[in-house]
Amino acid sequence: MRAATWTGVNEVSVETVPDPTLLNDHDIIVKVRKTTSCGSDLHLLGGYIPFMRAGDVLGHEFMGDVVEVGRAVRERKVGDRVVVNSFIACGTCWYCKQELYSLCDNGNPNPGITEGLWGQSPGGCFGYSHALGGFAGSHAEYIRVPYGDVGAFVVPEEVSDLRALFASDAVSTGWMGAELAGTKPGDTVAVWGAGGVGQMAARAAMLLGAERVLVIDRLPERLAQVREHVGAEVIDYSTTDVMAELRELTGGRGPDVCIEAVGMEAHSPGVHGTYDQVKQQLRLQTDRPSAVREAIMACRKGGSLFVLGVFAAAVDKFPIGAMMNKGLTVRGAQVHGQRFTPRILEHMARGELTTEHLATHVMPLEQAPRGYQMFKDKEDGCVRAVFEP
Amino acid sequence: MPLPKIVTRAAGLAGGAGGKALQQLQHLRLPGFGQSSVTDDPRTAARRWRAVSVLTDPEQLRTAIPVPLAAFGDRLDVRVTPAPGDRGAELAARFRGPVTEDEIGDLRAALRESKALVEVGEVLRVDPQPHGHRKATPQGAAIEGMAERAPREGVL
Ligand SMILES: NC(=O)c1ccc[n+]([C@@H]2O[C@H](COP(=O)([O-])OP(=O)(O)OC[C@H]3O[C@@H](n4cnc5c(N)ncnc54)[C@H](O)[C@@H]3O)[C@@H](O)[C@H]2O)c1
Ligand SMILES: [Zn+2]
Ligand SMILES: [Zn+2]
Repeated sequence: MRAATWTGVNEVSVETVPDPTLLNDHDIIVKVRKTTSCGSDLHLLGGYIPFMRAGDVLGHEFMGDVVEVGRAVRERKVGDRVVVNSFIACGTCWYCKQELYSLCDNGNPNPGITEGLWGQSPGGCFGYSHALGGFAGSHAEYIRVPYGDVGAFVVPEEVSDLRALFASDAVSTGWMGAELAGTKPGDTVAVWGAGGVGQMAARAAMLLGAERVLVIDRLPERLAQVREHVGAEVIDYSTTDVMAELRELTGGRGPDVCIEAVGMEAHSPGVHGTYDQVKQQLRLQTDRPSAVREAIMACRKGGSLFVLGVFAAAVDKFPIGAMMNKGLTVRGAQVHGQRFTPRILEHMARGELTTEHLATHVMPLEQAPRGYQMFKDKEDGCVRAVFEP
Repeated sequence: MPLPKIVTRAAGLAGGAGGKALQQLQHLRLPGFGQSSVTDDPRTAARRWRAVSVLTDPEQLRTAIPVPLAAFGDRLDVRVTPAPGDRGAELAARFRGPVTEDEIGDLRAALRESKALVEVGEVLRVDPQPHGHRKATPQGAAIEGMAERAPREGVL
C-alpha cells in the first residue's frame, strides 16, 4: 500500500510499504477514508520529539471502514464506518476504568523510554514515535487498530466523513480541556491558539455553558474562522496587549478557565520570544512555553489552566509563584478520546458541533509532503491538510 | 539539554549499536530528565521488589501466578498483596540471589507481560508492521536499540 512516512527532520515522503496485518486478537484493520495532519505532527517533524526512525508512517487522526476484525473483537464488525481515537487504550486497566484512556497501562509495550523521561509511561499513540509505542500511523491506505472495540466508534449516518474525522483527536482534545478544567455556566474561558484544537476547545466550552469564550491567536484567517464557525470572540495578540484586554473584558478578575492549545513551539513577540527561541536552539530548554506563562499570569485567582499543547520535557521561567500564590489548578493530558467521542458524535449529529471548516485543504495522500509544508508554514490559510488515500 | 542531543549522545556512548542507549538516557541526572530510574548499587538493586499493580482479585492472582513470572522458577520470590482502594492487586517479585542488569530487565518485561495477560488476555504486539525505507543512521540505530530494549527498561 502507499503511506506517508517521516524520512528526516522536516522531510515527509510517500512510499510503498507492506500492508498491515492483525497482530493481536483485539485488533481490527481499518481502510482509511480520511486522515489529517495535526499540530502535534509539527513537533515530530521538526525533530523536537526525537524518537522517530526514518520510514515511520505518520498520522494519528483518522476515520474509515472496518475491513478485518480479530478473534476477540465483539462489537466492531466488517463494514462499520468508524472514527478512531489517536491514543491506544485497552479498556480494562485501572486507568481506562477511570476514563483516563491516554494513560492506559497496556497501550505502549515499550514503556522504558517514557518512564525514563517522565517517571511513568502514558499510553501508546498511532504514528507518534517510538517513545509512544512505535505504532504505524494512519497516513496510509490501511491501518491496524489495537483494541478495536475500545478505540473505534461507529459514525452516525447523519455525520459526514469530514466532520467525524476530527472527533478522533482535535475535538476530543478540545473537549477534554474545557471539561476537565471544570468549565461551568457563568464562566469566562480564554483559549490560547486558534488551530483545530483551540477552536474545538472554545466550541466545547460554549456547549458546556460558558458565559463568554475568547480565543487568542495572531493569524487573521483562523481568527475569522473562530468568529464565523465557532461563535466565540477573538483577541489578536499581534496587535493587542492580551493581559490588559483580558482584565478589561472580565471586570478585572481574569478568565475563570484558561486553556492552552499552542504547545512547545509557541511563538511570541518581544524579548521573551527571543529568549525562549535562543534557549531552545542552544538546547538549554527543550520547549518554548510562552502561552503557558501568559495563561498562568492572566488566570483569575483560584482559576484553572488546562495544558493541551504538547510539551516534551523541561522549560525555564515557569511562573510557579503565580501558580502557587493565586491558588491555581493546573492540569494537562494527552487526549482521553474514548471518554468524549460518543458525546461528541451526538453533538455532531445534531449539528451543534461542526468541523468541516478546519479541513481547509483536502488532497490525495500522494500530496502529503506538500500538505505538511502548507500546514507547517500556515500557507494559503491552511488550518489542517486532510489526506485521502 | 535537548532531547535530540541526549539521543545522539546516548548513541555515541553505545557505540552506535543503541543497545545501552536507553539505560544511558535513564541514568542521566539532569533537571527534568531521567532522574526517575533506580541507580542503586547492584546488590541493593537485586534485593528490591519490582512491582506492578494489576486490576484483578488478589486471591485469584495468588492461586495462578502468571506464566511469564512462573517461568523464573525458584529464582524469584513472588508476592501478591491487595492494592488499596479499588486498584486490584500488587504483584511483586525479586531475585533470591545476585543478578545482572539484564536479568532485572527480563523481570521487568515479565511483570509487564503478566499484567497484560491478566488484564487483557494477551500482550500487545507492535511488530511486524508497515514502514518505509529505513536509512542507516546512528540516530536510527540508537532508536532501534532503544525500542528493542524498552520493554525491559524503565523505573520498575
Ligand atoms: N493533548 C493532546 O492530546 C493533543 C492532541 C492534539 C493536539 N495537541 C497539541 O495541541 C496544540 C495545538 O494543536 P493544533 O493542531 O491546533 O496546532 P496548530 O499548529 O494548527 O495551532 C497552533 C496555533 O497556536 C497559535 N499560537 C502560536 N503561538 C501562540 C501564542 N503565543 N499565543 C496564542 N496562540 C499562539 C498559532 O498561530 C496556531 O494558530 C499542539 O501543541 C498539539 O501538539 C495535543
Ligand atoms: Zn493530534
Ligand atoms: Zn487500559
